[in-house]
Amino acid sequence: MRDVYVLGIGQTIFGKHGNLTVNDLGAAAALAAVKDAEISPKEFQTAYCGSIHSSATVVQSALIRLGIGNIPMYTVENACASGSSAVHLLYQDIGYGIVDIGLALGIESLSTFHKKHGKALLGVEGDLQAKLALTMPSFFAMLCNRLMVDRGATLEDICYPSIKNHKAGVTNPFSQYKKAVTFQEIMDSPMISDPITVLQCCPQSDGAAAVILCSEEYYKKLNKKTHRPAVKLAASVISVSGAEDTSFDPLALETNVRGAREACEIAGVEAAKDIDVVEMHDAFSGEELSAYEMLGLCKPGEGIAFARSGAAELGGRCPVNPSGGLLSMGHPLGASGVRVVNDVTRQLWGETGANQVEGAKVGMAQMLGGVLSAIESPVVAGVQILTK
Amino acid sequence: MSNQVIFHPGALEEQGGDLVQMGFTCDSCGKTTFPVYELCPFCSSEHGKKAPLSKVGTLFSYTVTRVPVGFYKPPIVAGYIDLPEGVRIFGQIHADVEAVKNGMKLKMETGVIWTEKDGTEVIGYFYTPYAKEGEGAE
Repeated sequence: MRDVYVLGIGQTIFGKHGNLTVNDLGAAAALAAVKDAEISPKEFQTAYCGSIHSSATVVQSALIRLGIGNIPMYTVENACASGSSAVHLLYQDIGYGIVDIGLALGIESLSTFHKKHGKALLGVEGDLQAKLALTMPSFFAMLCNRLMVDRGATLEDICYPSIKNHKAGVTNPFSQYKKAVTFQEIMDSPMISDPITVLQCCPQSDGAAAVILCSEEYYKKLNKKTHRPAVKLAASVISVSGAEDTSFDPLALETNVRGAREACEIAGVEAAKDIDVVEMHDAFSGEELSAYEMLGLCKPGEGIAFARSGAAELGGRCPVNPSGGLLSMGHPLGASGVRVVNDVTRQLWGETGANQVEGAKVGMAQMLGGVLSAIESPVVAGVQILTK
Repeated sequence: MSNQVIFHPGALEEQGGDLVQMGFTCDSCGKTTFPVYELCPFCSSEHGKKAPLSKVGTLFSYTVTRVPVGFYKPPIVAGYIDLPEGVRIFGQIHADVEAVKNGMKLKMETGVIWTEKDGTEVIGYFYTPYAKEGEGAE
């Protein structure tokens, strides 16, 4: 497989953009990436877009506004890993020599979705368990229950990623929230699904993100930002879980464990030793806490100790979500999988200012999504490893 | 007379005047699954036996949702219930929140779980605390 390089990145600020359409958001992110790379939009040979709730042919609608047409384009849905899937498919196309350069986009407008469906908690439409009130917060609340029983996590431990990530968001100019929160403020905020309160949940957001990937030949030909170290997408894995029974352990989610292990094997890195920074799906604070061991940052069973040691914060062994994560950056579902790849890239380029992980050489971008009947949930993860 | 429907196709079947959760036990891999699908979700075999699932299970984990979800009003107590067949079922628990603990025994019951705006009663399953053999919810 050929090496795949990051040529440019772009995004809108995530937040409430009820006055903008998904096409407005997608075009803005794509234009930002094109301007970052300083290339013509006519260079693209293909485009993929991750989105869950956008209208039909969103990628064509957004990209024609930049004069991008007459190339194959696809919109892909894979729950919160939709953006990761767009990146993954483009990575495969370039890696296997089908194209030399393309755009991976992620777009979501939850304001538009809420106008249609209301703001209440929703499960996956038509799913048996969803009809019995299984939602994303209730799934992760039940995971937190097992974190407390099996790992001895305290409420302070469960709130820790939210405190850490809100603090990081204060100094990130791209962050939706720029406000630090305390343990007491988190626990005093309205309870959603015990023990998950509002301030342990990511906000619902509108936004888009875009990344330009290319082959080595095209990187050498087109790269104008020669001051930036070359960043490779060294591995990309989409992992999907299988049928569920009582042996299923929510603290060892198959999608996370296998996705991270396979991505590290492909990239030739050892997670606990080599990964310098992680940007991951922290839709819920306890979710991030549970993921440290699943992603291989520490041994199984040692995730709480890893958190308590400060290893996951800026200055620690492997900062997790130094951007502020979904908890501060916001979570326009389909866009986040692209955004985490962009944020890891910015870390490797050394362009994240106050949130920079000094000396970062290897980073992991992860997304996780989908809660369904009969399948080990969450059902899909996307894991990408970037290196310089 | 009000119209009644089952909340999800295949979730409950009538057997001897009783509503049961019908499981499928695969001849090839031995796993039991719910509801019954086209093929075994584990090994894709089509050979196996349908049989009603046990009505009593053990609570694996639970939560209390404090906001409305669809037709359900909070507090919504719900959890994953492990059955002796190896099946993990998600269901709501009709019980005093304080009495709900991991590891407790729960019994499946059926009844109206919500009513549509047109008056249609939607029938589903839920769980109640189970004390002793032959004894239902208190």
